[in-house]
Amino acid sequence: MRPKRNLFNTESIDKIRKKGEKWQRQVYPTEKQRQEVFETLSGIPIEPIYSPTHLAEMDYLRDLGFPGEEPFVRGVHPTMYRGRTWTHRQLAGFGPPEETNKRYKFLLKQGATGINGVFDYPTLRGYDSTDPEAYADVGRGGVAIDTVEDMRILFDGIPLDHVSSSLVTCQPIGNISVQSMYFANAQAQEIPFSELRGTSQNDFLMETAVAIAPEVFPPRASFKFSCDAIEYCTKHVPRWNPVSFAGYNYREAGCTAVQEVAFVLANAMACSEELIKRGLEVDRFAPRLSFFFSGHSDFFEEIAKYRAARRIWYRMMKERFGAKDPRSLALRFHVQTAGFALTAQQPLNNIARAAYHALVLGGAQSVHIDAYDEALCTPTELSSLTALRTQQILQLETRVTHTIDPLGGSYFIESLTNQLEEKIVALLNEIEAMGGIVKSVEKGWIHKEISSAAYECQKAIESGEMPIVGVNCYKIEDEKLPVELFRVPETLEVQRAKLEKIKKERNSTNVQKALDTILHCCEKDGNLMEVVVEAVKAHVTEGEVTKMLKRFYGTWNPPLF
Amino acid sequence: MKEMRKIRILLAKPGLDGHDRGIKVVARALRDAGMEVIYSGLHQTPEQIVNTALQEGVDGIGLSILSGAHNAIFSKIIALLQEKGLSDLLVFGGGTIPPKDQERLKAMGVGEIFTSGTDTREIVSYLKEALEKRDETKTKSV
Repeated sequence: MRPKRNLFNTESIDKIRKKGEKWQRQVYPTEKQRQEVFETLSGIPIEPIYSPTHLAEMDYLRDLGFPGEEPFVRGVHPTMYRGRTWTHRQLAGFGPPEETNKRYKFLLKQGATGINGVFDYPTLRGYDSTDPEAYADVGRGGVAIDTVEDMRILFDGIPLDHVSSSLVTCQPIGNISVQSMYFANAQAQEIPFSELRGTSQNDFLMETAVAIAPEVFPPRASFKFSCDAIEYCTKHVPRWNPVSFAGYNYREAGCTAVQEVAFVLANAMACSEELIKRGLEVDRFAPRLSFFFSGHSDFFEEIAKYRAARRIWYRMMKERFGAKDPRSLALRFHVQTAGFALTAQQPLNNIARAAYHALVLGGAQSVHIDAYDEALCTPTELSSLTALRTQQILQLETRVTHTIDPLGGSYFIESLTNQLEEKIVALLNEIEAMGGIVKSVEKGWIHKEISSAAYECQKAIESGEMPIVGVNCYKIEDEKLPVELFRVPETLEVQRAKLEKIKKERNSTNVQKALDTILHCCEKDGNLMEVVVEAVKAHVTEGEVTKMLKRFYGTWNPPLF
Repeated sequence: MKEMRKIRILLAKPGLDGHDRGIKVVARALRDAGMEVIYSGLHQTPEQIVNTALQEGVDGIGLSILSGAHNAIFSKIIALLQEKGLSDLLVFGGGTIPPKDQERLKAMGVGEIFTSGTDTREIVSYLKEALEKRDETKTKSV
């Protein structure tokens, strides 16, 4: 065993501890505290002051290291923002693809450095726009996609070999078709798969534990779809991140910072085990596993959270999976500022709020800043632009990018990083003892965890313990809304016309053949991505793929709360 | 003496939108306030919602809609309730619903709309008062 190399010598620590204890006994109490208890948003007690005594056990090289090197706590790249700053990836999507294409081009022209495409509710869940279930939601919450033709329109005039695209396909069932359409569209333009850069969300918890509905795909099936996409990309689309474990969305559903990280890591661990079982070497797929976290309102806890997540991932990949490639060991992530923290009241306050949440001090690889009107409607062009400008101000004016991990070494941040790590690891162990993340979903355990945390949070807001400006303090009665609201353009009829035309013109023998192939692939437990990519080329619609899969895998009724 | 009767509420989330944090929190708050709550989850069609309301004999239906589809969905549900002779059922809702649309929905017969930032105690007292008022009117007319 390597000898311990503590940051401070025992003699200094003893002196500081004695002095600190005396201060806390005699000096600090001479003034009154403004509240009894101080704690982080996830409930970790916060002390009045942090000092080297809190880091007495810390071994710098073992626990922190240098950027781009093990254990990657200080950053995953050697130069971090001194080399390349984070990607400004503003979420966009509404109405038919013709309209969203204009918004993408607008954002790119204004300096966005990546696309972050969000899909409407029917597309996320695997329905066609014309499905009776979809009637009210077409074009809402994102862009409507039914066939590969829609994908062509969505990215028309945008060079797929130069722009990286994030596809916010939360549920694996929607992802399997939408991602296939993206790849098929690239192929039609003769862009080789090796040139494609981007990310799909593809998280099975989104289908089975977050945003839950009756009659969804069973957890094992949804997990399989997710792993199929990862396996497919590992083999064929090497620069694509085939999964972005969606901690952000778990957090939005109610999780604490600790649960957010524990659940994504448990999910990533299960996927890794499955892919290894399928015969892939860990260093083949792990470099492309990516993460998606929330940037919530507890400034320091969020910074510590990202740093703790990097350390746990590093240790898990190295010790448990024997990964050797530094890219497998480094946790890369996208951040979105917390939608939950936005208020419908006094919406312009959200500009300041989201700027505080952007938190690049935690070392994110890409960021979306919420628009000020997101608690009221789909963002307007003005609110999207303001959010993008907030990123640019942060990057160009504040100089927070000039040194790497600027809060590293802060007694408080390091101490909080350690405490979060401990709590997250404990929760990970609990999930493992239960039989892993898929089991925890099947048992309904995770549903209870999430909804209880959400309820606790609501109670804290209502008691005033968690102040929210404009909601439980500094309210304005009879407030007049100071912003213009966005109206989603007509979508269903636009989509219906295209679907009808495509169904009339496509070769029905090829369609039937493609659907039969999908069913056959289910029966022999093959990789579904391989056949769905071919099916969408024959203009099979997303809804047709879903129906075929539902026929084979059946449905599941999750515990509702 | 006034008979103590438990208020029964159906909470449902129509459409395919997955933002269910709010409705689940409301469900627990109403239960903690002593009401009986039937929560039917996401993806409920207006027909399913109205049928459940009929079968469960509820006093009110609460709908959560964050997708922007509120106008279409509320009007369909109100029409279905009238068709089935259930127009005295209290319909209320919540979600991402702009002020102008709130007015429109209320004119259509929706009792109240609670948007993001609402204190759940406000919903509880609204339901108690509105249902009490309804019962009084009913007794008088009988």
